[in-house]
Amino acid sequence: MHRRVVITGLGVIAPNGIGKEQFWDACVSGRSGVRRITRFDASSLPVQIAGEVPNFDPVALGVTEKESVYLDRATHFSIASANMALEDAGLLDKLSEEERERTGVYMGSAMAGIDELEQAWLKLTDSGNHPPREAKEQATLIITRMMTHTYATMVAVHHQLYGPCVSLATACAAGGDAIGEAFRAIQEGYVDRVLAGGADSAISAVGINVFAILGALSTRNEEPERASRPYDALRDGFVMAEGAAILLLEERELALARNARIYAEIIGFSSNINAHHMTAPPPDGAPLQRLLQQVLRQAGVKHEELDYINSHGSSTPPNEVAETSAYKALFGERASRIPISSTKSLIGHAQGASSAIEAVATALTLEHQVIHPTINQEQPDPRCDLDYVPNVARHATVNVALTHSSGFGGVNGALVLARPEWVDTHM
Amino acid sequence: MVQQAGRRVVITGLGVVAPNGIGTPAFWEATANGISGIDHIQRFSTDDLPIKVGGAVSDFVATNYIERKLVNRTARSTQFTLAATQEAVQDARLALEEQDMEQVGAVIGCALGGNGYVMQQMQAMFTRGTRAMSAYTAIAALQIANAGQVSIRHNVQGYSKTAIHDVVGGLDALGLAYRAIRRGEAEVIIAGGCDEPIEPTVLIAMAHSDQCALGDDPDMYRPFDRRARGTVLAEGAGICILEDYEHARRRGARMYGEIVGYSQTNDAHGMTVPSACGKHYARAIKLALQEGQIGPQELAYFSADGRALPSSDAGEAEALRLAFGSELERLPVSVPRTCIGHAYSAAGPLDMITALLALQHHTIPPTINCEQLDPTYGLNLVRDQARPTHGSAVLLGGRATGGSNVVLAIKKVGE
Repeated sequence: MHRRVVITGLGVIAPNGIGKEQFWDACVSGRSGVRRITRFDASSLPVQIAGEVPNFDPVALGVTEKESVYLDRATHFSIASANMALEDAGLLDKLSEEERERTGVYMGSAMAGIDELEQAWLKLTDSGNHPPREAKEQATLIITRMMTHTYATMVAVHHQLYGPCVSLATACAAGGDAIGEAFRAIQEGYVDRVLAGGADSAISAVGINVFAILGALSTRNEEPERASRPYDALRDGFVMAEGAAILLLEERELALARNARIYAEIIGFSSNINAHHMTAPPPDGAPLQRLLQQVLRQAGVKHEELDYINSHGSSTPPNEVAETSAYKALFGERASRIPISSTKSLIGHAQGASSAIEAVATALTLEHQVIHPTINQEQPDPRCDLDYVPNVARHATVNVALTHSSGFGGVNGALVLARPEWVDTHM
Repeated sequence: MVQQAGRRVVITGLGVVAPNGIGTPAFWEATANGISGIDHIQRFSTDDLPIKVGGAVSDFVATNYIERKLVNRTARSTQFTLAATQEAVQDARLALEEQDMEQVGAVIGCALGGNGYVMQQMQAMFTRGTRAMSAYTAIAALQIANAGQVSIRHNVQGYSKTAIHDVVGGLDALGLAYRAIRRGEAEVIIAGGCDEPIEPTVLIAMAHSDQCALGDDPDMYRPFDRRARGTVLAEGAGICILEDYEHARRRGARMYGEIVGYSQTNDAHGMTVPSACGKHYARAIKLALQEGQIGPQELAYFSADGRALPSSDAGEAEALRLAFGSELERLPVSVPRTCIGHAYSAAGPLDMITALLALQHHTIPPTINCEQLDPTYGLNLVRDQARPTHGSAVLLGGRATGGSNVVLAIKKVGE
């Protein structure tokens, strides 16, 4: 008999809002967080737009002075999001030592350390003028600023959590994967609570160029807010973004016993890999179709009970074609009656954080019974003809929602969330 | 604590690319005899570097395993992974084309990604312009390259992840794969780890991190020794085929052993080397023994983290004392990894491969370079020469920078 897992706290740092209220308000209002890049001089790059998080003050969000100096930006995002999630759940500084032995941190990231590695390399080689060597007056290089596991580890250090720390780097599906693995760990009794999510901040010359050189990024530099346009006929690539989100996952009995506010119950998680190509999905979307079928079956959800899909929707020509094929193949006629929206239309693609931010958006959808729009829907792509909730938010009855993500390497992951009231009447 | 009884998970194939041997037989032969693969680094000049030695895989020819086109699109660590995977799949006599590939996954740990490839491309970009960067940089650099390329090459379509966790990412990968098969999420998982720390920028950064011994003495990696001053880095890959026991039995597979426990705790002491306090590590050891239902007397040896820093070594010794009490005297402890250096995410899988072969050959491989074992640790360290054993289980310990303690428990497969 598996234990059940619920979401009791949310923390999010996104290009269009810091904290769940600001973020959700911006999403529902259709406000984009994509702007011209300010974090470095991007004038020599073909891409000059990104979803940056403006006005991020780590110390104001509970990061210590020392942490703000020694740790990198994405780790600040991680600690701040964890603070928000614990606060939101009413558990900030409230867990006993024994409870903290049974609390873990699971984080996903795709690009951790790229920015820092770039800075280190430039310093050690004098911008490529000689092989790496120790500079005479260099500051101590901090290797942990280049390591992915720093995010989860520092959240654990900040909150003195003694349970497992797991970091996953399944590319752009990483955050969702971390949430899914955390779900399993609680189900199977290894932990009782997990701060689970993702973080990434790789808006740097190398971070942008590795994707620009692939032709994967939008070059709509003159109109940043209109660049991320999943499903639209004029989409020309994704928009790089940064951010983080952490959800507090809790064993259901413990949550009920302390009268916690429950956003949703996690009722299914599944993942697979395409075995096709390192960047492009197969156009028929078959692996995604199989994944969605699998996860819905696992969750015990019939097709007609699925009320909303928060899609990967990255705004690349191949991705949305594959998604649409998968939805139609799986749901048949019903596909055109399931509302689908893409958070990436509002904030761009925050890499490993994206699937975690999207899980937060999905949880907020269940709480508010409002579906945020896919913005920038101006010219329909004939190959993408489903209901993507274009441009305007919508009130709706949403009891069961699915969020899915895909990443380089061909990885796919999907999470199913349901309102507690619905689960109670359907178990 | 509720835990599921689940499927049993066995290991049916092994693949190795290591500084003291490419291929499992060569690796075991060297490791069992304490033959070191640590030497002066040859692949680039170390004149301006604070670390001049390492466990390098100096005779690896990528085109022996993969076609030139793929060599140009992958980093060194991924090439190691592909070579080790090839060996492991063949060793398991696993006819992948006969499997349900949705039940086959790939879980491969890697901390540093394809950093060598990235740095080459940064050279191109910053000296010749942004368009000079290879279009394959992202797919070569990201750690997902390992599971991704394995998946494409072998048509793997199931449960696939990349675990990242400093030096214990490989142990985490094995643990995640173990739990996935246990719950029925996959029948077969290609699991392990790889890393390529032998790069100039990485060596400089590691030298600043107080984890690594500095200088040019190839014997300077000596855990629990009075002169211990840190690890020596290594590159490589270790891959194991993890399989559902029934699935393996039905196809008459040879089983090297069984994973029976995986536990993780955290010291949460800060972003530094493993803690001098062994309390949480001891908890992880006990959890793994409990999950695996292993009595201390069944253990052939404890494969230690062996971080070779006085405070970390003290913490590990304390953990062992807290976990084993008076049994510690009789419990052999070893760090066979002293023969190759610390291969980061490959370390745990290579330790596990070593342990499986140790059980098979009834031989505990030695720890080398520990001529001045510090007796205050109270450890029964297997040194210089292999030791015979009748044990049927091994515990593998690993501790990450930042505080995680990971323990994996393996056993011979019972009749």
